[in-house]
Amino acid sequence: MKDYDAIVIGAGNAGLSAAATLQRGGMRTLLLERHNIPGGCATSFVRGDYEFEVALHQLSGLGTEDQPAILRHVFDSMGISDKVDYVEEHHLYRYAVPGVIDITLPASVKGIIAVLSEAFPAEADKLKPFLDLCEVLTLEAYLAYPRAKATGDPEVIKKNCRNFVKYGLRNAKDVLDEFFDDPVLKAVLGGYWGYMGLPLKELPFSDLGVMLYAYAAMKPWHVVGGSQALSNALLDSFLEAGGDVRFNCGAEQITTDNGAVAAVRTEHGEIFTTNQVVSNASSILTYNQLLDRPELAGDVREDFKSRRMGVSGFVLYLGLDCTPKDLGIEVATNFVANTIDDEAQHAEALTLDGAPKGCLFTCYTVGDETLAPKGKSVVALMCLQYGSAWDNVKPEDYAATKFAYAEKLIDLAETVIPSVRDHIEEIEVATPMTMMRYLNTPGGAIYGFSQGIAEHGTVRDRVRPVHGLHLAGSWSGMGGFQPTYQAGASVGGSILCKQNKKAG
Amino acid sequence: MTLKDIRSVIDGFDATRAQMENLAETGQDFANEGARVQTRVASLHPKRLALTVSDLVEETATTRTLRLTGDAGTLPPFLAGQYVNLFVTVDGVETARPFAISSAPQERGHYDLTVRKIAGGFVSPWLVEGLQVGAKVSSSGPMGSFYVNPIHHGDDLVFLAGGSGVAPAISMIRDIAARRLPVKFHLIYGSRQTDDVIFQRELSELDAACDFLTLTQVISEPNDAFQGRTGFIDAALISEVCGEMANKTVYLCGPPAMNAACAKELKDVGVTNKRLHIEANGPPVDPTARGGWPSGVAAHQNVTVTVNGKGSFETTAGEPLLNALEKAGYQVENACRSGECSLCRIKILSGDVFNPSEAKLRQSDRRFGWVHSCVAYATSDVEILL
Repeated sequence: MKDYDAIVIGAGNAGLSAAATLQRGGMRTLLLERHNIPGGCATSFVRGDYEFEVALHQLSGLGTEDQPAILRHVFDSMGISDKVDYVEEHHLYRYAVPGVIDITLPASVKGIIAVLSEAFPAEADKLKPFLDLCEVLTLEAYLAYPRAKATGDPEVIKKNCRNFVKYGLRNAKDVLDEFFDDPVLKAVLGGYWGYMGLPLKELPFSDLGVMLYAYAAMKPWHVVGGSQALSNALLDSFLEAGGDVRFNCGAEQITTDNGAVAAVRTEHGEIFTTNQVVSNASSILTYNQLLDRPELAGDVREDFKSRRMGVSGFVLYLGLDCTPKDLGIEVATNFVANTIDDEAQHAEALTLDGAPKGCLFTCYTVGDETLAPKGKSVVALMCLQYGSAWDNVKPEDYAATKFAYAEKLIDLAETVIPSVRDHIEEIEVATPMTMMRYLNTPGGAIYGFSQGIAEHGTVRDRVRPVHGLHLAGSWSGMGGFQPTYQAGASVGGSILCKQNKKAG
Repeated sequence: MTLKDIRSVIDGFDATRAQMENLAETGQDFANEGARVQTRVASLHPKRLALTVSDLVEETATTRTLRLTGDAGTLPPFLAGQYVNLFVTVDGVETARPFAISSAPQERGHYDLTVRKIAGGFVSPWLVEGLQVGAKVSSSGPMGSFYVNPIHHGDDLVFLAGGSGVAPAISMIRDIAARRLPVKFHLIYGSRQTDDVIFQRELSELDAACDFLTLTQVISEPNDAFQGRTGFIDAALISEVCGEMANKTVYLCGPPAMNAACAKELKDVGVTNKRLHIEANGPPVDPTARGGWPSGVAAHQNVTVTVNGKGSFETTAGEPLLNALEKAGYQVENACRSGECSLCRIKILSGDVFNPSEAKLRQSDRRFGWVHSCVAYATSDVEILL
């Protein structure tokens, strides 16, 4: 008898989801987490009177209570629906480049068409076909394509996934160019590129199109208590089902026997036997460090060579002594830039020498005042940044460097949202090094590997060299909240499925 | 020849696969990344530092400075005002206490911790009287948000210090001097008696050498010969020596009673929450005097703590759960021991627990029964999850 039916390494979104799914499915599961709190990215912290959301800007995939979408069903299946409350955001985002454009997209397909038709009348007739494409691409990518592929017949793929075949792997810039002429309109529609961390010419259009449609149709959401509330709810569900959790207890080694998982050793030297391990740690760490015999992962390490390190972030958590109204903002999600050129914005993520050209100002108190003390606001101000930008910053220069870059980021935000600086009551600065510290990811990467076309699930083959070792998280699929919750639930589900087949 | 991949019908599939092969030619297997991450994180935020007591300096009859040298050479950088949590074993109990670093951040070979003996204390008497040069200790990395933040603190700074609360202040002063920062710094330092004043000589020297520094010393229990300012730090004194306070940033670090009293005085002279930074200083001295403490429960009342699956022990309602757990031989990660950092977070499975205002709990931790054990009090028998 093994100590546990399954051990989950890491209590990030995918780890928690996998653990809850496994334990609720009847497998005795141990969840190991090196930090003192569940969530990975999905955490919050308290400074003074404020609680700061660490990472979640807009939760996708929930749908409304009347029209629930996939993530609501996934959360239902993990038993957390009664444990979490959500706040609907009524806008996708405001996109503001001073002197060029300042426009807000409402959270509905019709609303987007109306707003953009008015602002860009010359291209109004192309908006509906474009958003129709985003919709049908979403359906094909998630429903039709997996089924068609399972038939093994390329003709079925061609017939049932016409749009996915034509547009799925094209780059987003290319497709926007096909539909539209006005560069400003294209920039507005491509606003979400930052959520994937690469400029439009490198992103698969299916990812951008699906994201745009999904937020518009299923709404963006905030979580009461922040994403920490989701993490705590998932853990609660796991514990209620009888699961064991250890905090401040990192996994140190995955022990194998004859090429199959046999046990996990913790940082404190305890050894727990099991046949199934779900690793929510990065694939790099899992195969290169945790696995007792890295040579078992030969194929994976070859596969790594075709991947590139993903982006991290530079984030200011701001507690402001004023309301969103005082700041003149009515929308939670504000993309602020000094150029519509996404490539120029992305280029700044590679260096600390210049200044950010684009940022995201998320004000969580828009729509829910309870997220901050009365009359105050909670904001996350973020720009993309690669961990490599910090490679040559010496430890003794670290603090001064981060404060100097923080000033530049505030300067950029203030071009659209004035006097942010004057209202700061609490501020915490997080760099890619901070992400590295809390996520234990190479480069402090927040979405796993660089999410380019070559990383798209459609072109990747699944490599699983060690029997009983499963990866779940942004390093083995798409990054972000919805994808990682679903990845965890799906990995947990497939382990249960096999287990039940064996038992049955 | 292998069969053509059915995914080739997707536009761009073959081209992307070819691109992957090209990427693989110039890519890497990231074999060294794990070690790089560990080294990088440890250089800024180590979980533990191995230290040796390299010197002990008598500051006053009740205070001494422990010079701690890193066993692995250069220590991680810190911001003047930050603390480390010092792990020690006293009377067989593994415990820890946080102390502000009093040395300058520019000193990378050691951290100085200035410790005052608290009468009836558990750890401080041992540190002041028991610790020997050459002893091995360990600490957390530098932590905390009590430091001069250049983004919004401005250039007109006032520090109210009481007792060993002067430790972070002198680090700030040394840092400002070393970096020639364009700020004004006014230290108002209260002590009970003249021979309780810590860093008297260093402060006088810094005062003479640094144009940016103004030093006001106050003695609350002066002897007859004392000529300087006497009494407590109050609104009148603050206004007199600082003038208009509205645009100044104030740091406050002293014993709990002083922190509470001075915070009120500062409000009276127009210092807003936004401009006031109070260093946390341990659990409440008397939790039973706080609003929300259940009536009918005395501090000395016995309660039983059951640690899920690991046994149980007796403690008293007035003892913070973290201290009680440590005395009973359980290990819980911790750092600030003042309710803020959340490292000592535990889950209450059943029973009643009092969380004073020091407990900076996340909204959802409250909902699901997680508490910060350093400032949590079992007011009935409780069952907890470590």
